[in-house]
Amino acid sequence: MDERWMADPVECGTAAGFGIYVHIPFCAHRCGYCDFATYDDQHDWIPRYVAALRAEIARAGGSDRPVTSIFIGGGTPTLLPAHHLAGVVDLLHATFAVEVGAEVTVECNPETASVELFERLAASGVNRVSMGAQSFAAEVLKTLERQHTAERPLEAVAQARQGGIDQVSLDLIYGTPGETNDDWEATLRQAVIAEVDHVSAYALTIHDNTPFGRRVSQGTLARPDDDVQADRFDTARDLLGAAGFEHYEISNWAMGSRARSRHNVLYWRHGDYLAFGVGAHGHRDGQRWWNPRAIAPYVTAVEERRDPASGSEVLTPDERAEERLLLGLRLREGLHPVDVPPIDPLALEDAIAHDLVQTSSGRLQSTEGGWFLLDEAIRRLT
Amino acid sequence: MTGTLPPVYPIDRIRNFCIVAHVDHGKSTLADRMLQQTNLVDPRKMRDQYLDKMDIERERGITIKAQTARLPYHYTGGDSHAGEFLLNLIDTPGHVDFSYEVSRALNACEGAILLVDAAQGMEAQTIANLYLALEADLEIIPVLNKIDLPAARPDDVAREMCSIIGGEPDDVLRISAKTGEGVREVLESIVERVPAPKGSPDDPFRALIFDSVYDPYRGVLVYFRVVDGTLTRGDKIKLKATGYENEVDDLAVHSPEETPIDALGPGEVGVLSASIKEVSQAKVGDTITLAGRGAATVHALPGYREPLPMVYSGLYPLDSDDFPILRDALDKLQLNDASFTFEPETSTALGFGFRCGFLGLLHLEIVIERLDREFGIPLVTTAPSVSYRVVLEHEFDDTGANRVITVANPQDLPTPNKILRIEEPTVTAMILLPNEYVGPVMQLCEGRRGTMLAMDYLTESRVEMRYRLPLGEIITDFFDQLKSITRGYASLDYERGDYMADALVKVDVLLNGEPVDAFSSIVHRDHAYEYGKGMVERLRELIPRQMFDVPIQAAIGAKIIARETIKARRKDVLAKCYGGDVSRKRKLLEKQKEGKKKMKQVGSVEVPPEAFVAALRSGSPKQD
Repeated sequence: MDERWMADPVECGTAAGFGIYVHIPFCAHRCGYCDFATYDDQHDWIPRYVAALRAEIARAGGSDRPVTSIFIGGGTPTLLPAHHLAGVVDLLHATFAVEVGAEVTVECNPETASVELFERLAASGVNRVSMGAQSFAAEVLKTLERQHTAERPLEAVAQARQGGIDQVSLDLIYGTPGETNDDWEATLRQAVIAEVDHVSAYALTIHDNTPFGRRVSQGTLARPDDDVQADRFDTARDLLGAAGFEHYEISNWAMGSRARSRHNVLYWRHGDYLAFGVGAHGHRDGQRWWNPRAIAPYVTAVEERRDPASGSEVLTPDERAEERLLLGLRLREGLHPVDVPPIDPLALEDAIAHDLVQTSSGRLQSTEGGWFLLDEAIRRLT
Repeated sequence: MTGTLPPVYPIDRIRNFCIVAHVDHGKSTLADRMLQQTNLVDPRKMRDQYLDKMDIERERGITIKAQTARLPYHYTGGDSHAGEFLLNLIDTPGHVDFSYEVSRALNACEGAILLVDAAQGMEAQTIANLYLALEADLEIIPVLNKIDLPAARPDDVAREMCSIIGGEPDDVLRISAKTGEGVREVLESIVERVPAPKGSPDDPFRALIFDSVYDPYRGVLVYFRVVDGTLTRGDKIKLKATGYENEVDDLAVHSPEETPIDALGPGEVGVLSASIKEVSQAKVGDTITLAGRGAATVHALPGYREPLPMVYSGLYPLDSDDFPILRDALDKLQLNDASFTFEPETSTALGFGFRCGFLGLLHLEIVIERLDREFGIPLVTTAPSVSYRVVLEHEFDDTGANRVITVANPQDLPTPNKILRIEEPTVTAMILLPNEYVGPVMQLCEGRRGTMLAMDYLTESRVEMRYRLPLGEIITDFFDQLKSITRGYASLDYERGDYMADALVKVDVLLNGEPVDAFSSIVHRDHAYEYGKGMVERLRELIPRQMFDVPIQAAIGAKIIARETIKARRKDVLAKCYGGDVSRKRKLLEKQKEGKKKMKQVGSVEVPPEAFVAALRSGSPKQD
């Protein structure tokens, strides 16, 4: 197989940059749809967890590869005391060769926002906040078990700006059972009014192992309807597009290309990233590894100076090819021809004939219609 | 093997009998009790349903293959006959599917015990088999079983029995096979009332085959009843119908375990093996003669006929890679079941499989269960159908009459413009029921295009109804319906009737314009819309959405009678890859790809095989 696409990439793989992901697994309340590694009943662990996280980061140091993005996600990172959180960011800067102008994002829930918090974070180099608004409809927030009012996110965005954060993104969820077209349109309008420079909008996904999953299987919660979610996706495209946002990835819109989330683009370009904290996944040149989801084994391993990783895999060329496509085609820009893995010409022809992908720009890209059917495209192409 | 020497019985000391009974009326228990009372089975080796050897038989409480037991009996009756007798019990299958086998086994007997549950009363199946016994001119000994049950109503049931066989209710024996009460009287009655076999030791040897069973180590074991002459181990035999010739390797009787014997004379029952490879070489009903000069002049015993399938179904391996395994399994199964037929067929929806013919629905179920149990092959089976006679419009045979073809698979039906008429097999159904359900049962039968032939009151409260019904109408859910509207009190049996013409049409189901052959069905014109609508609605639920709108249509010829649309899929992507966890997403996609590989392709539509299975499993839609 010609593996030039792996060895000599133009934008993808090692060419995409180098990121760091840090996971903070604490929430005031674990929402019913959430299947991330997060806990609302283990706050006693916070001091030991932060200490373990710092130890894990410190031990991983020594690389002089320039870090292009840092993402601190959760859970609710801003549930940590501000000095703990800022201290982690400071430690990352001290330990790694973080590029000047690197994107440093912290996820934030509106109810934890304050000008003081953002000032403290900005002072440590945080320049981007991803605000978990999810919806601006009170009923929908209630269904999603969110802890803030419909008005709070706008206030929180303003506080971030005031605290000196350059870029603010809003996280939204659509297709929640009970959400109306009007609710969703109103939510999108509020996002525009908030004057954020980035919006992430995700279709609500039901995972079997969550309270929502159990309620759906019991029949006490309606399963989100694919057609409704497809309609909402179209509404988001229309409304955000009209407001000047660029739809650069299936679930992400940016006000101009500079406002794209560099850390997310790193994922979609098959780039390398380190991972710290529970449930965090890292990737380097075809090798993936991950930490345990539970707090105790993670903390214990780090305290005993063991590698906390609970699993890893080395991807075969076929698996790398599949990942390259399933990640790269999420981006509107698609893949540079050099970065495209070998595809069976008949499969490619078939996917083009079904209007799932196109090559007319000289790059391999999803079509407008094929974007929301990407999994079908990948199944055909690989 | 060296023959031990069981005592030789003169022909007037032999009694051959069978037991006619409904499932659960205690036939096997009575047989077990007879074995015990004649001290034939070591009590430590006794198990329930001793004679039923297949697991399926014991689990379902039915007898599929005939079995025999030789019971030496010391008769102590008052008359001058007192002394040693040989009673041969021939345990027959009881189900309508095997009525031909039953009739052959009955022909090997001179008498029959009519065994009826004193609480349940006569059942249609018992009556059907009783009629077969009467046709075979057997002496009937009526016996009421389970008289110890609190719900027993022996006087009523005895009157029911006598209304059919005649005689006095007081003469009906009353027993409990469970406790053994009255079993001795039954044995005595057999000696007293069943005639001794007739047959001449000096005539050329003739014997009736009433069963043949495949044994993987010894070849086919042939169960037979000697009519004339004597058979000795080492004799060379010739079978009249199949022409098979070979030497008798083993000769034995069952007492009840197999016991070698050197020779068998007139009236006796035994089993032989002669290096026969498959049961189709030694068919039930065939006549055994001695090979050599003069064999051709010996007349065959009357009543032989080729087994004729009544019900057809397509059998497909769920996993198409299993096709060769299925073919081997069917070959092996046919070694010991000559009454089932199969030939390869292909289906666009289901791939490669076989169209199989069965004696009836129970036979079909048993074959499928054996395929699953003995060969472990998961199967998709198409809805059972019957074999139609199709009279062609523009084609003629040598005599100038319209040509007639037989169609066992709806997809083989010619287009409507070529068909003059379609004739379907009918049956004469006998339904026994308490009189309060007569109305609903009439309604059911009329909904299934039945014609009433007779209605008789056996007693004030029990009715026998006879209907002519299309076989195709009763092989779906007729029996379930009958049971449900009579709260389980009705019983059903049927025998083949003539072919009759009716307004039959083929309904095709089209997926995106492509016919899905597995769902084509021949139905009455008045039921076509309902069938079509039911099918398209069910498929719309079962078939996943595709990249484009998919119409599902039901059609008669070119005329569309029902339509549904599966709307194009609009979403097929995971919104989020959280926290850089790409592995999970990739694994999910790989799983989906595995599923995609298993999809059956109908034109450009991908259908998971489970969708076809589910649509077929729920059976044909109800038609009343």
